[in-house]
Amino acid sequence: MKSYFLKRVVLIFFTAFIILSLTFILMKMLPDTPPAGFPAQVQAYYFDQVSLGYVYDMTSLRPDLGDYLYSYTDALNVVHYFYKVPIMQQYWNFLVNVLTRWDWGTSTSISVNSSAIAIIGERLPVTMELNVISIVIAVPLGFLFGIIAALKKNKLTDHVISTLVMIMISIPSFIVITFLLLIFAYSTGWLPSQRPSSTATSGEIAKAFIIPVCALSFGTIASFTRYTRAELCEIMSSDFLLLARTKGLTRTQCVIRHALRNSMVPIVPMIIGQFIGILSGSMILENLYGIPGIGRLFTDALTAKDYNVLMVDMAIFTLIGLAANLLVDLSYGIVDPRIRMGAKK
Amino acid sequence: MSDNKKELFEYVDSNNNDQQIEISKEDFEIVNKGARIHDVKFKSKPTTFLKDAFRRFRKNKSSVAGGIILGILLLGAIILPVALPSDIDSPHLDEQFLEPKLFPSGTGFRDGTKKYTDFKIAYDTVNETPGGFSKEAVLDDTLELMETEINTVNDYAYGGYVNFYNSVSTTSTTSMKSYPIEFNFENDYSLHVEFGKEPTSTTTMLGGYSVTFSYLDGEEQKDFLIRDFSNDYSDLDVNLTDLAIAAGLEEKAYSNCSVSFNLDYESGIVSQLLVKECTVESSNSEEQATLDEVFFDDANKMVRTARSTNGVDNIGYWTSTGNKGVYKSTLVRCNFVYDTYVAKFGHVNQIISQNTLNNYIQNGWMSYDVNVGVESFKILDENKCPITKVYSQTYDSRLGTVSLNCEVLKYRYLGYDEMPIYLLGTDKYGKDLLHSIFAGLRTSLLLGFGTAAVCITFGIIWGSISGYFGGNIDIVMERFTDILSGIPWIVIMTLCILHLGNNFGTFILALCLTGWIGVSSLTRSQFYRFKGREYVLAARTLGASDFRLIFKHILPNSIGTLVTSCVLIIPSVIFNEATISYLNLGLQGLPSLGVTLSENQQFINSYPYLIIWPSVIVALMMISFNLFGNGLRDAFNPSLKGSD
Repeated sequence: MKSYFLKRVVLIFFTAFIILSLTFILMKMLPDTPPAGFPAQVQAYYFDQVSLGYVYDMTSLRPDLGDYLYSYTDALNVVHYFYKVPIMQQYWNFLVNVLTRWDWGTSTSISVNSSAIAIIGERLPVTMELNVISIVIAVPLGFLFGIIAALKKNKLTDHVISTLVMIMISIPSFIVITFLLLIFAYSTGWLPSQRPSSTATSGEIAKAFIIPVCALSFGTIASFTRYTRAELCEIMSSDFLLLARTKGLTRTQCVIRHALRNSMVPIVPMIIGQFIGILSGSMILENLYGIPGIGRLFTDALTAKDYNVLMVDMAIFTLIGLAANLLVDLSYGIVDPRIRMGAKK
Repeated sequence: MSDNKKELFEYVDSNNNDQQIEISKEDFEIVNKGARIHDVKFKSKPTTFLKDAFRRFRKNKSSVAGGIILGILLLGAIILPVALPSDIDSPHLDEQFLEPKLFPSGTGFRDGTKKYTDFKIAYDTVNETPGGFSKEAVLDDTLELMETEINTVNDYAYGGYVNFYNSVSTTSTTSMKSYPIEFNFENDYSLHVEFGKEPTSTTTMLGGYSVTFSYLDGEEQKDFLIRDFSNDYSDLDVNLTDLAIAAGLEEKAYSNCSVSFNLDYESGIVSQLLVKECTVESSNSEEQATLDEVFFDDANKMVRTARSTNGVDNIGYWTSTGNKGVYKSTLVRCNFVYDTYVAKFGHVNQIISQNTLNNYIQNGWMSYDVNVGVESFKILDENKCPITKVYSQTYDSRLGTVSLNCEVLKYRYLGYDEMPIYLLGTDKYGKDLLHSIFAGLRTSLLLGFGTAAVCITFGIIWGSISGYFGGNIDIVMERFTDILSGIPWIVIMTLCILHLGNNFGTFILALCLTGWIGVSSLTRSQFYRFKGREYVLAARTLGASDFRLIFKHILPNSIGTLVTSCVLIIPSVIFNEATISYLNLGLQGLPSLGVTLSENQQFINSYPYLIIWPSVIVALMMISFNLFGNGLRDAFNPSLKGSD
């Protein structure tokens, strides 16, 4: 058991390391965009880059290092030229910076000269809030519909639920939000069409959660329903349930004591897995609904060519995905003895 | 028979008693002797795997429905972009935002009309049409008018009061003074002023005021009072000439004369003066036009014209040192149904160049003689001639050509024989939405099939090697896919597009980079399933090479499962392409469904049809693909049914 955990954790760290390295190198290979801001801010940015080891400060022109990024004349009338450090060296400095000072880079245009990790820190809770709310709503509902469909298998209720599930699972969340906006925001005006600013009343803010949470939840509800139904159907036709019936338990007792508990086992890890799916789905929603989360940050950084922030945002997406994967694997390991014993499934 | 004798057998029965039985060979009989033997080949054709799968597929009604919808969409994606005459490669700014049209206008459903409700549009009472809209395109009997009072300046409002007021901190009299006029004792002038009797709000009050008349006497600006400082807001009707005589003016002509209102201040409160109208009538009718221009009977118009002058303190032909606005002017608002097609393609004013004119004349549609001018215009072909009226002719001496200012039937001017009909309307570039959607769908499908093809090929090769050989090779290959699958697809796509640009090839590459992993793991599991089977062992003992085992023996067994599972790659590709478009990284150079969607998103409120239709098509596409794909997979692999 321990070795299984250890193996997974080490593997995830290794994977994360490789992916982040690749992302860093690929991002740094992009043409450099000068920071936006006042001359003083630009200068401060380049000084910071020099101290972080991404840029050389030269007092003479060095054509062998390519075009210079920035130049200034200091108090002693010496002209300084700033050059890009070779990428692999930048990469090494990046690793050192991350490990020693937790410095992941500096924003160039979204919020000039502030640390990228601080920007993420501001935005991440917004996204998390949205995702957690939608998970909290979606999981019980999905579970409920799944149980209903499984118990009424091959009856009208089941067919209706299954058809709806098929439809909801297929329609991307940005289409769902479009229709929700059209109906509830623009036609009827019941709900706000954009997230209000943080100064709005708590009622308005709460109202503004309804549309994005619904758009995010529909797909999750659908996939939970489908999964629960499939799982429960399989268990309902299993031998041990027949045994439970023959020993005299009622159908309700059977379902609650035996079927549901057993079907829970593979579904619980799925909740964690679902988190990643929602996260990438929320990226567009944040853009469409004006929610200042990390998904919105992705687009903002992309349009503003703030590659340092973009890199960290990508890293966050990757890390959340990997962490969720790890949790899924580990929780499977806990609930499923076959995996715990190290056997191939 | 010679050995026809009974033999004695002993046996123990179920109750452990010894029993004896006497039996001879004749007691046995061959069962099917003379009877029909059923163990023969069927004459009916044996069903194949494919047929069986198809039979199972047909049983699944929803999948069949999905397949049919998918077929229609596919057909549309193939035929429509080629068959539709509209051009979506270049913008047509004359045809922006046409509503969807299928039926003739006035039928109320998909007739190319846009409904304006809630009295949001101001009505232009002068031209008798909704402000800024073409009169021709407003459907008959749909116009509803409602009078409202507004306290702001509006181009289409009229009447009301000029609200002339001090700010709270004012400490001296402010004035509102008319533009200089001539004052001649030969004529008789009468001044008529109407005041507002109530302040505009509870926080303001009507202030004390005086009305004076000033004139230039020689070099000196002098004045006399028409009404002294008071709070009397009754109408003012005076004869200026009489007052002038009373004030002791010489009976001659004066220039630089003006009427002014002087508003007293009151500390701590906004004092104001409301003037409804201020007109001067002269007995000389020649002067009247000038006087009408300077003085006003329409407060809204007077304040509105002020906006066009540069001086900050000008209001119309008046200058003032206080603040001024308009109060309680009347604005008619309207509801109406607007035929966007008539508005864009109907009669509009247009400048026609000589080249175009010559073209029309050459085509025999009209006759026109540049040397004679407007009178020579004559329509020869009623059904073709774009020009319906010629207003004037302008000669450009620099180019030496003439141009006509005329009224044209816009659709003919644009080169259409009939008014075009756009089933789903047009977007902000004037591109046919139906055409855009299906051309985009075609691109998406090409992208999907291309990606699926590459993914299947590569995934199968990778998965077979990994699954067949197992062991260390498998572990290394699995780790590689583990790492690759750890990167979110959105990161991969963004990086690819940033490095390689957003063209078709990049999209295929980026989508394949993550897409093949699913295929490879499926292939691998299929190989694990089959590679231990006896027939593989048999082939191996007969000396078959690894290559032969993989591609001849194992792969064909799993190909059905693989290919059907890969149908589901296509909707995910459509989804990814649309998603990446929302990040402004959409496919360029080719029509793209994602770009159409994300660009039209901004018109969700003003032109909802622009976003509804692409969304519906994408949703339909995804649903039908998923239904079809799932049905196909269930049909090919019944054991997987319901376990996803």
